[in-house]
Amino acid sequence: MSASSAVAHNHHDADSHGHEHHHGHDHHELSFIQKYIFSTDHKVIARQFMFSALFFLFIGGFFALLIRWQLAYPGKAIPIIGNLLPSTWVTDGIIQASFYTQLLTMHGSVMIFLVIIPLAVGMFGNFCIPLMLGTDDMALPKLNMFSFWLMPPAAMITMGGFWFPDGMAAAGWTSYPPLAVINGPGQTCWLIGVFLIGFSSIMGGVNYITTILNKRTPGMTLFRMPLTVWALFITAMLIVLGTPVLAAALSMQFFDQFLGSSFFIPDNLVTTKKFVGGGQAVLFQHLFWFYSHPAVYIMILTPMGIVSDVLATFARKPLYGYKAMIFALMAIAFLGFIVWGHHMFQSGMNPLLGTTFMLSTIVIAVPSAIKIFNWLGTIWRGNIHFTAASMNALAFIATFIVGGLSGVFMASAPIDIYIHDTYFIVAHIHYVLFGGALFGIFAGIYYWFPKMFGKMLNENLGRKHFYWSFIFFNLTFFPMHILGVGGHMRRIYDPYIYDFLKPFQPMNEFITIAAGLLGFSQLILVVNILWTIKFGKKAPDNPWNANTLEWSAPTPPPHGNFTEDIRVYRGPYEYSMPGAKEDYAPQTKQDIPSEVEGEIVDESMFKAH
Amino acid sequence: MKGWFEWAYRDMLSFFPENVSTFGAQLDGLFTFVYWISVLIFILTYFLLIAFIIKYRARPNKKSYHFHGSNIVEFTWTILPTFLFVGIGLFSEDAWTKTKYQMKVPKPDVEVDVIAYQFGWQIRYPGPDGIFGKKDRFQMSKMNLFGIDSNDVNGKDDIIIENAQLHLPINKNIVVNLSTADVLHSFFLPNFRVKQDALPGKWIKVWFNGTKAGKYEIACAELCGSNHYAMRGEIFMYGQQDYDKWLDGKNKKMIELQQKQKAAELTLSDSTTTSQGS
Repeated sequence: MSASSAVAHNHHDADSHGHEHHHGHDHHELSFIQKYIFSTDHKVIARQFMFSALFFLFIGGFFALLIRWQLAYPGKAIPIIGNLLPSTWVTDGIIQASFYTQLLTMHGSVMIFLVIIPLAVGMFGNFCIPLMLGTDDMALPKLNMFSFWLMPPAAMITMGGFWFPDGMAAAGWTSYPPLAVINGPGQTCWLIGVFLIGFSSIMGGVNYITTILNKRTPGMTLFRMPLTVWALFITAMLIVLGTPVLAAALSMQFFDQFLGSSFFIPDNLVTTKKFVGGGQAVLFQHLFWFYSHPAVYIMILTPMGIVSDVLATFARKPLYGYKAMIFALMAIAFLGFIVWGHHMFQSGMNPLLGTTFMLSTIVIAVPSAIKIFNWLGTIWRGNIHFTAASMNALAFIATFIVGGLSGVFMASAPIDIYIHDTYFIVAHIHYVLFGGALFGIFAGIYYWFPKMFGKMLNENLGRKHFYWSFIFFNLTFFPMHILGVGGHMRRIYDPYIYDFLKPFQPMNEFITIAAGLLGFSQLILVVNILWTIKFGKKAPDNPWNANTLEWSAPTPPPHGNFTEDIRVYRGPYEYSMPGAKEDYAPQTKQDIPSEVEGEIVDESMFKAH
Repeated sequence: MKGWFEWAYRDMLSFFPENVSTFGAQLDGLFTFVYWISVLIFILTYFLLIAFIIKYRARPNKKSYHFHGSNIVEFTWTILPTFLFVGIGLFSEDAWTKTKYQMKVPKPDVEVDVIAYQFGWQIRYPGPDGIFGKKDRFQMSKMNLFGIDSNDVNGKDDIIIENAQLHLPINKNIVVNLSTADVLHSFFLPNFRVKQDALPGKWIKVWFNGTKAGKYEIACAELCGSNHYAMRGEIFMYGQQDYDKWLDGKNKKMIELQQKQKAAELTLSDSTTTSQGS
């Protein structure tokens, strides 16, 4: 069914049955399972991604807190739960070194593959693309459903080592051979699980690209799309181009690890597991980072788009430099594919390549800087309304500035010599992925929740969640820069066997306490969501007076999304037009009423695109 | 609570461990340079962010400025950071070339082999003859991590130190040939600002020049298994005389050991000939 006929069909349907009883495909009432579990409705799939990812957020967070406990108090039993954990993990409540490496591996894998990517790409991609483009659903709804339903089994397989005596994968989320290859069945599970997650990603990516190119409602030109959709479009391209390379790397490692080939294993390795030899260990790193560096942008581009939309809405102001923002996204995506070597400055690859990668990496700071300046330009001379959504968006900018600047240090290859594989890197990645991506995602959740669930989130709890998260986030991760300057290596079970790290124990203790409080702050979000779904206030169709198309759909949008034929007349960010009665101009509304009674605004004067 | 807030009131740069290598000062200098640029950009952007948040907060009956941006402004804030960041890159290039380029490694005054394994380091000196025995990958084993070629006489007197203690003279160009017997490791000398991953199947030259005598630490910076954290080594830097004394001691021991071995072999072959004769 094409977009326009679907819309026309809906229109007719709405007329005859009224708003409440409307169904997009009104042949028969869908069963519970079709409606809520194996649903092809993009909005249901978005919710499924959201709930599964929030569940894994707490699993990943739990792993992180165990890591933090060990760093602050090595050799001390974990309080309360220490004695409940299995004896392969802890002895007398004390974390074992082998379990510690599993923890750090699974913390990274879960947070990246099962939390941030599903939230940023899975949830917002599914929810926003069809609604913001004014269409009824994804281009390929069945594929969309498969893309979600591959995740739960993939997640279980990724952590499948849980069932083996050797435990889960323990070679870091980067899974470098030869260590990964000589590890046990936990690693095999990890390889298969991440491969399947990648497959799910590709299915989503293909779907997003197809939908964006083919299913835009009339009048929605590419340069009238909101930045969230642009970011998802570019992200989808990164996924489709990058993930197959990860799949190749994982398959090759699976061959090495499970079948005994030697893609990544050189001659005569002195290990108990024997190989044919003749491979190159560093090859895996090239293949892995060819995907995993763009993966960083897969995780952050969509939050960048969300932040742009949220800021424009709450500053009641057009986005500053709309096209510059799009070109900056494209530049980041393009450069993202030629900078992977900066993860490998110290890996033993030819240092000549280090020079090349240093220059390309450092150039990527430019489009990032452009984005920061444009966001500042957006709030400049605005009328900023502070809500949980806009505060999270502003926090994104604040933390992304720090994360971007700390990135310049490690982009410079000689500076990286010292800080490579230290807590400086850990601080950087968390400033970008927690401070950046996750705050952007929170902004998106607070912004779109009313549309997703038809209820207004409790603003008070939302603000509490924001303040606590922002404060404890900074108290947790800022001191890590300093640990890094002190030379504190990452992935260290007990730092204090080194004399030069002994003075850092109190600081580690401080970080651990802050991290615990940061973890507890996230419970506020969960309470807020659950409470709102049950008891929340009903949301109006357009609670934020925003312009984009999703706010023209009923709340919550029915199967098929729109009840009337919609057309797009202008760009997404025409806020506060001079002479207009209201400070917003929905994309679907042809005529904007003027301050003068009975007249309309002549938009030809200030149309930017 | 003691020390909890140290990060908040001490200058970040003061946390660097003491630098005791010649190029370390240059690397720290680069860090400091980027640090101050970052502080500057941080203050500038945060000032704008906070000022805008306060000044342009929502007030009733106020309308935002309807403005889509300006190409000149976009152009300016594209070009300026480009120059700044590319400048930082080019400025870094010299230090990178100097420290890492394999063809620019200075002529060694002292050369040692270091091999990493799960979980420790072994160090090899050339011994009394001053020449390393040839290495053969296929002879590498748990007993012979370096893969010293058993057919090469120069290798017979090589000194192998198994407890991860590296002894070196100050003010000399030290070249370490680095590799690993099993998985990836990373040779990290915090005080010397040296870090290099060890790759199986490849010998990488790492060089430095220490400036201060004393005892420092060697750490592994690449996850290499459960006991990754325990790969601690030590590096002792001596003045030339003390170093010579240490090295002579080691060499003498090796010569004695070899003489003993020779004697043992002789008696062994004597007894075999005798037994054959009877």
